[in-house]
Amino acid sequence: MRSKQQIVPYLLLLPALVLLLVFNLLPTIATLVESTFVISLRSGERVFAGFANFERIFNDPIFWKSLQVTVVFSLVVNPLQIALALGLSILINQRLPGIGIFRSIYLLPVAVSLNVTAIVWRLLLDKNTGMVNGILFQLGIERQPFLHSVDQALWSIILIASWIGVPLWSLFILAGLQNIPPPVLEAAKIDGANAWQSFTRVTLPLLRRVLAFVLVADTVANFLLFAPILLTTQGGPQLSTNLILYETYRRGFLYGDLGASAAMLSVMLLIVFVIVGIELYVLRGSD
Amino acid sequence: MIGQARRNRKPLRAYLQPALVYFMLIIGVLIVVIPLMWALAASFTPNHKVFEYAYPFSWRALLPVDFTLEAYDNLFARGFGRAVGNTFFLAFVTVFVGGAANALAGFAFGRFEFRGKNALFMTIVMLTFLVPIDLTAIPRFILIENIGWINTWQGLLVPGFANSLVIFLFRQFFAEIPQELIDAARVDGATWLRVLLSIVLPISKPVLVAAGLLMFISQWNSFFWPLLVAPRQELRVIQVEISLAVGQYGTVWNELLAGSMIAAIVPILLVMPFQRYYVQAITGTGLE
Repeated sequence: MRSKQQIVPYLLLLPALVLLLVFNLLPTIATLVESTFVISLRSGERVFAGFANFERIFNDPIFWKSLQVTVVFSLVVNPLQIALALGLSILINQRLPGIGIFRSIYLLPVAVSLNVTAIVWRLLLDKNTGMVNGILFQLGIERQPFLHSVDQALWSIILIASWIGVPLWSLFILAGLQNIPPPVLEAAKIDGANAWQSFTRVTLPLLRRVLAFVLVADTVANFLLFAPILLTTQGGPQLSTNLILYETYRRGFLYGDLGASAAMLSVMLLIVFVIVGIELYVLRGSD
Repeated sequence: MIGQARRNRKPLRAYLQPALVYFMLIIGVLIVVIPLMWALAASFTPNHKVFEYAYPFSWRALLPVDFTLEAYDNLFARGFGRAVGNTFFLAFVTVFVGGAANALAGFAFGRFEFRGKNALFMTIVMLTFLVPIDLTAIPRFILIENIGWINTWQGLLVPGFANSLVIFLFRQFFAEIPQELIDAARVDGATWLRVLLSIVLPISKPVLVAAGLLMFISQWNSFFWPLLVAPRQELRVIQVEISLAVGQYGTVWNELLAGSMIAAIVPILLVMPFQRYYVQAITGTGLE
């Protein structure tokens, strides 16, 4: 029966795979190709330029600055989000009356777009009349500039990203917690483990796979943070929030320098490939 | 802990621990809910009073004490309805056309053995799943430009039809359908199309809901691609419309918040009744 039906699976696959090939896989390869072209100023034509675009961005302090901001941002936001998400998932995994209501409420940020989140928080963090400053005022703390300050802007972006990120990643960890068979934890208890011991010696090791996935997925997601920057700081003040994807957009679409933009994206693609390679390795290794 | 509860005299810890859990949960809830309550209340407030109770803060900031529909009226008078309609259209077409293509591919990967199956899955589905779409937006933009699809529905819609995450979901679900169900129909001489429509489809409600929600909400919330490919007013989707308003009507805060609340309420209303499906849809691939 199978041999006669050989054509059927290919027909079923055809529409989706052609679409993925044309609109996802091809552009991935084209990013790398595009980075070797420049738009000629004289003719307006695309001409091959070898590594000129890369030379240009590697000699560009703004590129390095935005890479540096992105690295600092990543080193703070990812551990922070995962630690808080782990804590939240443990809380909403408790068997307590009304826990379902809490789980529903924590799902709200996951459904809301990053754009809406950024718009609302931009107003909440307003340096003059925002509600966060309003609450600080009631506590007797003076006004903070938040998004308008070189020292606080990136932290404000971290807050905005985490308002969605923490509840989102806690869903993955919660699913991981629920996959732990109760007898395993009971056995630990019978063996005399206290709550902390059973958490560090039983729960955490069993969550390793989920946590590894979340770490990689969160890292990639935050590496590509864009909308909150566009809607709040536009990379400022003084490039202190100029994350790398925003910089490629600025170059490519605001200044029309698609070559430099593609070169930056190629560098990002390489970084993502490394992260994804780690992901595949980790997920395969623990099967 | 359940054993302890059955005893008559509970140790103090049995009360303290839940109290501490509730306390921390409530702090988190405040962080989640207060921004949304303020934004919702402010969207029903006259523009000059949007920040009135925010600084200095009073509880009135969280309720529409000066209730008015002014912001919503003005917003729709300026043509916001068009963006809402566009986004519904984008999301629905993606769910039905894209959903069909992804379901067929998921069925092929889940139920058939054929040459090149693993190679196709690993190179096309897996790779496109792992490379974030925003990273390849510029070459995709150039491709769309060459086809002549900038500022067209095709440019907005077609690249979003195939979705490797959704193919994953369908593959996983279809692979678990008992073989006897399908064999019985095949012995009766049913074509694959008939098997799909009359056997598989009726029992696939969970995966259809999950995949539908996932596609609908990701299109409803999509921003970067529509911003690049279809910035023209007539094609603007809701996320682009509210985001451009940040610059354009920067001081009409209540309208900005009204638009944001419309953008927020649709996915919230969709997710709430189907929480389990939605959570499974987004977490499924990370864990299997």
